[in-house]
Amino acid sequence: MQASKLGKNTPINPSDLQDDVICKRRWSGLRRLTYLTIFVLLIQAFYFGAVYAKETKETNDNQVTYTDFTLNIGDRIDIGDYQVELIDIQSLKDGIALMQVSKVGGALDEQRAFLENHANNLEGGSENNGITITVTDIPDDQSAKVRIEYQEGLGTPRRHASERPVAPPDKPILSVQESFDRNQMNVGDEVKVTIAVKNIGTGQALDIKAEDTPPLPEFSYIAGYPPKIKETLDPGESDSAVYLMSAVKEGSIRVPAIQVSYTDAKKNARSNNSEPFNVLINPKSKANLAIELTSPGPIPLGGKGVMNVSLSNMGTATATRIELAGEIRPPEGLEVTGLDRSFFEILPEKRVNYSAVLSGKSPGNYTVRLKASFDGGDGAMIQEGTTEVVVLEQEYKYQYLLLIIPIIVIIAWMYRRYKEYKY
Amino acid sequence: MLNVLMLGVGQCGNRILDAINKESFGGGGASRLAKYCMRPKFPSRVETLAVNTAVNDLKELRFTTAKDRLHVPNLHGVGANRNVGKQAFMDNRDMIMGEIEKRGDFDVAFVITSTSGGTGSSFSPLLINELKRQYPRITVITVAVLPFREEGSIYLQNAAFSMRELMEVDAEGIILADNQYMKRYSGDIASAYDKINNMIAQRLLFLIESLDSEMLSVTDLGDFKTVMNGGLRIGTMGFYQADGKNPSVKDAIENSLKPGNLLYPANVSEDAARAMIIIQGSREHLDVDQITKEVEKLSASAGHVFKGIVIKKGYPKVLSVFTMASAPELESIYAQAARGMQDEKEKRSRSRKQLDDAFAHIEDLEEIY
Ligand SMILES: Nc1nc2c(ncn2[C@@H]2O[C@H](COP(=O)(O)OP(=O)(O)OP(=O)(O)O)[C@@H](O)[C@H]2O)c(=O)[nH]1
Ligand SMILES: [Mg+2]
Repeated sequence: MQASKLGKNTPINPSDLQDDVICKRRWSGLRRLTYLTIFVLLIQAFYFGAVYAKETKETNDNQVTYTDFTLNIGDRIDIGDYQVELIDIQSLKDGIALMQVSKVGGALDEQRAFLENHANNLEGGSENNGITITVTDIPDDQSAKVRIEYQEGLGTPRRHASERPVAPPDKPILSVQESFDRNQMNVGDEVKVTIAVKNIGTGQALDIKAEDTPPLPEFSYIAGYPPKIKETLDPGESDSAVYLMSAVKEGSIRVPAIQVSYTDAKKNARSNNSEPFNVLINPKSKANLAIELTSPGPIPLGGKGVMNVSLSNMGTATATRIELAGEIRPPEGLEVTGLDRSFFEILPEKRVNYSAVLSGKSPGNYTVRLKASFDGGDGAMIQEGTTEVVVLEQEYKYQYLLLIIPIIVIIAWMYRRYKEYKY
Repeated sequence: MLNVLMLGVGQCGNRILDAINKESFGGGGASRLAKYCMRPKFPSRVETLAVNTAVNDLKELRFTTAKDRLHVPNLHGVGANRNVGKQAFMDNRDMIMGEIEKRGDFDVAFVITSTSGGTGSSFSPLLINELKRQYPRITVITVAVLPFREEGSIYLQNAAFSMRELMEVDAEGIILADNQYMKRYSGDIASAYDKINNMIAQRLLFLIESLDSEMLSVTDLGDFKTVMNGGLRIGTMGFYQADGKNPSVKDAIENSLKPGNLLYPANVSEDAARAMIIIQGSREHLDVDQITKEVEKLSASAGHVFKGIVIKKGYPKVLSVFTMASAPELESIYAQAARGMQDEKEKRSRSRKQLDDAFAHIEDLEEIY
């Protein structure tokens, strides 16, 4: 199992060993054999470990012991004729360290990839007068903890610090910034999104991919999406991408982080994120005309009255191409002049007033309806306003007289007759 | 167009005049309201004047205008005393005649009065004389009301004397109405008066209307005068209105002459001297042959009969006016009056004698103090 897992990882590794052609070939050739060997060895180790544990401890001469070391890249451990040098941390994530193992005399000189927590036997391992090397931990990409198991007869392992000066590692770091040109907008508004990437590290960043997915459902993407960032950024270099989208759905939206993945010069996959942030999408901005008609009050028959019209744009967009058409019900009996108008535009929160003249031709109750059709910024809209207008029957004083005069006449007449017959 | 003057003298005359005015408003209860809004509707030009010495009697009137009520100042009536009445008339003659003059010229005048009261019975003969003197061409008809017989001897006596005077004056004739005879119409006196007054009013107005109408068969004021001049120059009127049950004009004529429909108890076939039959109704009900036959039948007993036919919508209405050659009822009144007067006279002398006998006791005595 463990062997096969290691084997699975090996196909990644050959490219790592490109500088050493022999090793590469040997690896390829010995792959199957190695699996088998490791498998058999492991079973043996289990078996002997269980059965001869007491015995092993008691035989002082070839008693197996171990020592733990922390190696920085370039550091070396010497034990007996063996030399083990940490060459590189191949993958921090996968836990693979590359080490040079060699034996004085040239019997062994090769680079090996060590999978974390997997024992590697050299020349039969510690049980057979060889040594067993295990990478127990890779705390960062500059160091690894290594355990060396050996028979005490081999002497004491020693650590040699790297003779080469410890060069600062070439480590790219990308700062990723995503920004909207506004953090509040209305449905239908366009937003410009800028993604800025800067290499603030020391190493070159390669194979840069900005992962700005999935697309946000609250927007429709107009142009420039998905954003493209230069594949390679040298330290200090920056690049940015811009795309345009428009808001389609209102709401408060959390814009997630953009992940930019890349590798360093050593093919280590790395990534950096932008900070997530919130934007607010308000409902679509529209014009909204409120029509207010002020009835002139009762109009005497044959008289005139002035009706005031007030149009106010209560919306957030400009109303344009405004056409006003009046209608009176019933159509006969009340005449109006100056009610139908048109205006180019009314800005948001602005008001327009005008007045129309009504003349009463026959008594009754009328409804004046004013219909405004306009472009509200999101297509044609219609708004209406109504008011009631009364045209009076007759002047009241005449009506009273009409009633009172006959009564007075009758009373006068009857009184006269009463006097005539009163004796 | 006839110019008619109607004078109601004394309480009885006033009230009949008021009934005439009421009739001019259409009669009945509705006339109470009608007088406030309508003009009285007379068939001709009719002037009415109520004359009385008692102001209370004038006040009682309802349908006569104030200017048509003439008070002759003489305290409160004349107390059935015809001599006081005559004196009052003579004292106020110019005033009364002046009031009549104001009303213009007339073709005919009706003087309506009771025969038994004080004022009416004493004023009327004098008034008629004055009228005849001032308006020689005028036709004057007296409408005289006879008293209930039980009203007392003074009323009977007044009736007797005033009737004589009324017959002596130069009037064209007397139409009699007898309270006693019409008493049967109602139980109480007040409604009996109203009923009688309304009957008289209705007939007089029907007569005036007919005389003033275009008639199919001609009768006019002249004919009426001729009728009134017949016999004793005392006459009366009968009236009948046919209805849907029996619209026959023949029956209507006969009924109008029946004693029950007369104002005074007379027997037409025996007493009538001259007569006039006035028929009103729509054409389909007026069979001229039948009318002529009826009139001929009447002529056989009553001497001359005038007939007048007025075409007017409705069932036949018949007014008969006739004068009498004899008046037996009147004679009985005189007899009763005379008896009463005799009794009175005897009673008076008897009591006078008793008084004288009483006085005899102190005949030779002087007052002693
Ligand atoms: N038909 C009829 N007869 C009446 C009416 N009033 C009174 N009489 C009769 O008239 C007689 C009385 O005469 P009046 O007219 O009242 O007397 P007068 O002429 O006013 O005279 P004085 O009252 O005495 O001054 C009585 O016989 C009554 O029955 C009436 O309204 N209709
Ligand atoms: Mg009297």
